[in-house]
Amino acid sequence: MLKERLAYAIVCGAMVITIILALMLGTQFYSLPQLWQALMGQRPAILATIMTFRLPRILAAMVAGGMLATAGAISQAVFRNRLADPTILGVTSAGEFLMLVGGMVLPVFGFQKQLLALIGGLLAFALLANRKTMRQPYQLIIVGVALNFTFMALTQLFTKNIDVSSSLSFNGITWSAVTTLLITGILGLVVALLMAPWANDLKLPDEQLSSIGIPVTAIRLGLLALVVYLSADVTSVVGTIAFIGIIVPNVARYFVGHDYQTILPFSMLSGAWLLLVVDTIGRLVVLPSEISAATIMAVLGGPFLIVLVQRGGAHGIKAG
Amino acid sequence: MELKQVNYSYSNSKKTISDFTATVPTGQILSIIGQNGAGKSTLLKLLLGRLSPDSGTVELDGQPISALSPRKRAAKIAVVSQQHQLYDEMTVKEVVKTGRLPFHSLLATISDEEVRPFLQAVDLADAMDQPLTSLSGGQQQRVWLAAALAQEPQYLFLDEPTTYLDIRYAHDLMALIQELNVKKKMTIIMVLHDINQALKVSDQLWLIKQGKLLKAGTPATMLDEQLLSQAFEVPIKIVKIEKYGPYVIQLAA
Repeated sequence: MLKERLAYAIVCGAMVITIILALMLGTQFYSLPQLWQALMGQRPAILATIMTFRLPRILAAMVAGGMLATAGAISQAVFRNRLADPTILGVTSAGEFLMLVGGMVLPVFGFQKQLLALIGGLLAFALLANRKTMRQPYQLIIVGVALNFTFMALTQLFTKNIDVSSSLSFNGITWSAVTTLLITGILGLVVALLMAPWANDLKLPDEQLSSIGIPVTAIRLGLLALVVYLSADVTSVVGTIAFIGIIVPNVARYFVGHDYQTILPFSMLSGAWLLLVVDTIGRLVVLPSEISAATIMAVLGGPFLIVLVQRGGAHGIKAG
Repeated sequence: MELKQVNYSYSNSKKTISDFTATVPTGQILSIIGQNGAGKSTLLKLLLGRLSPDSGTVELDGQPISALSPRKRAAKIAVVSQQHQLYDEMTVKEVVKTGRLPFHSLLATISDEEVRPFLQAVDLADAMDQPLTSLSGGQQQRVWLAAALAQEPQYLFLDEPTTYLDIRYAHDLMALIQELNVKKKMTIIMVLHDINQALKVSDQLWLIKQGKLLKAGTPATMLDEQLLSQAFEVPIKIVKIEKYGPYVIQLAA
C-alpha cells in the first residue's frame, strides 16, 4: 500500500516538473519568472508562443501517452499476454494504412481519420484473434508482428514519393486536433476505468468464468473494442508510437501490483508522463530540428522488450 | 437435481454416458466413483450444464438445466475443480470475490467485508491480502472452496478435489466439506478417485462403469467385493479395522 502511494506521488511530482520544463524549454528558453510574467499577461509574445506551440503539444503528448499505455494494459489482459500491445500487433499500422487509402479514394467527411483508423484496427484484430493465437502467446506475437510489417510495407508502397511522416506527429499540432483528442481520449479513459473489473475477471480461465455466469466473449469483445478505439484515436492524430503500451503497464505491475483497478489509473498517469518526457527530449536534442517521439520510443522500447522476453514475460504469469 | 434417461457421446462412436437415470439426494454428500474413463467427469459436466445430453434431460428444481441463464445457474451451482490456472497474479480476496460476481452488476467493485465470512469459513481470513501463489497447495484449494462458497450455492460440485493434496491436507479438506454440508445444508456432489475416502465421507455413492450406473446407494451397500472388483476390474478385498471400520484394498500379486 505504501509502495503504491509512493509510486503515485513520484509520478505526479515528476509530471508537474516535466510540464514546467516542457513549457520552459524549446528553440527559445523561458525562465520561470518569464513564464510567470507571461501567465500574468505581462509578456504577450511569450504567452502566444506557449499557447500556440508548447501547451497544445504538452496536452496532446500527455493524453496520447495515457491512452496508449491504457490500450496496452487492457490488450495484455484480453490476450493474457504481457507482450500484447496494439502497436506491435499491427492494430495501429492497419489503422494508418486505412487512413492513407481512405484519404486517397474517399471524399472528406467528419472524423474521417478517426473512423478509418478504427476500422483498420478492427480489421487487424479480426485477422489476429483466433483460438490458436489466444492460447499460444508466441504465436500471437509472431502473427501480430507479421501483420504490423505487412501494413507498414503497404503504407510505404502507397507513399513511395510522398512524405507523410511530418503530417502525423506532435509537431505543429493544432488546438482543434488537441481538443478532439482530449475529448475523445478522456472519454475512452473513463470507460477504461469503469471496465477495469472485466480485465481482472480475465485472469481466470474461460471455463471458470462461465461457471460463475460471466459472459466471457462479450467482455472480451467489449475490452478489445476499447483497445482499438484508444489506439486508433491516437494513431489518427500522431501516427503510430510503439512500445508505450508494453513498457508502462509492465513497470506499473512492478510498482502497484496486479489489480487492473490500480494498474489502469497508474498506467494512464505514467504513460502521460513518459510520452511527455520523450516528446520534450525529442524536440530539444537536435535543435532547431527534432526527433519524433515514435523514434525515441522505438529506441527505448526495443531493449525493454528483449529483456522482458528473456525473462519469460511472454508467458504471462501462470499461477497455481 | 435429476438425470432422466441421459445419453451422451463425444463423437458418433461409443456412448460415454448411456441411459443414465438417477436423482441427486438433496442436502447430502454424494460421491461418484468408478475407474478412469468410466464417464465420471462427463457426468459432472452434464450435471453442471456444460454439456447438453444427446437425449434425455438433466433437471434442476424441475427445470431443464440448459433453460437456466448462466447467472441463475451460477447462483445455484458452484464448482471446485481439481486444478486451477490463473493468467496473472491474484490475491486470496480477489479470488474469493469472483464468487460474488453472480450477485452484482458486471462492473461492480466488491468490498473486502463481503467476502470475509467465506474466508473465515475455510479458516483463511488472515491470508486475505496475500498472493494466492504464496499459499500451500492445500490452502489454495481452500481458497477456491471459499470462492465457491461465496456463490452461496445450493449445490457444490467438487471434481477430484484432493488429487494434488497429500494425505493430511486431503483429510482436512474432507472434514471441512462434511462440516459445510451439515452447517450450510448444502448438497455436495464429488467425483473421487479414492474409494476409501468416498466411503468415509459420503451419504450416497454412484458407482459407474462404461457410462452406466452400476449401483447407487449408501456406503454400506457398496461394501461388496464382487461388485467393486467388477467395477474396477481388479481383485478387491474388504477388511475391517477395529475402531476405523471397513477399508477397501486392492489385491496385487
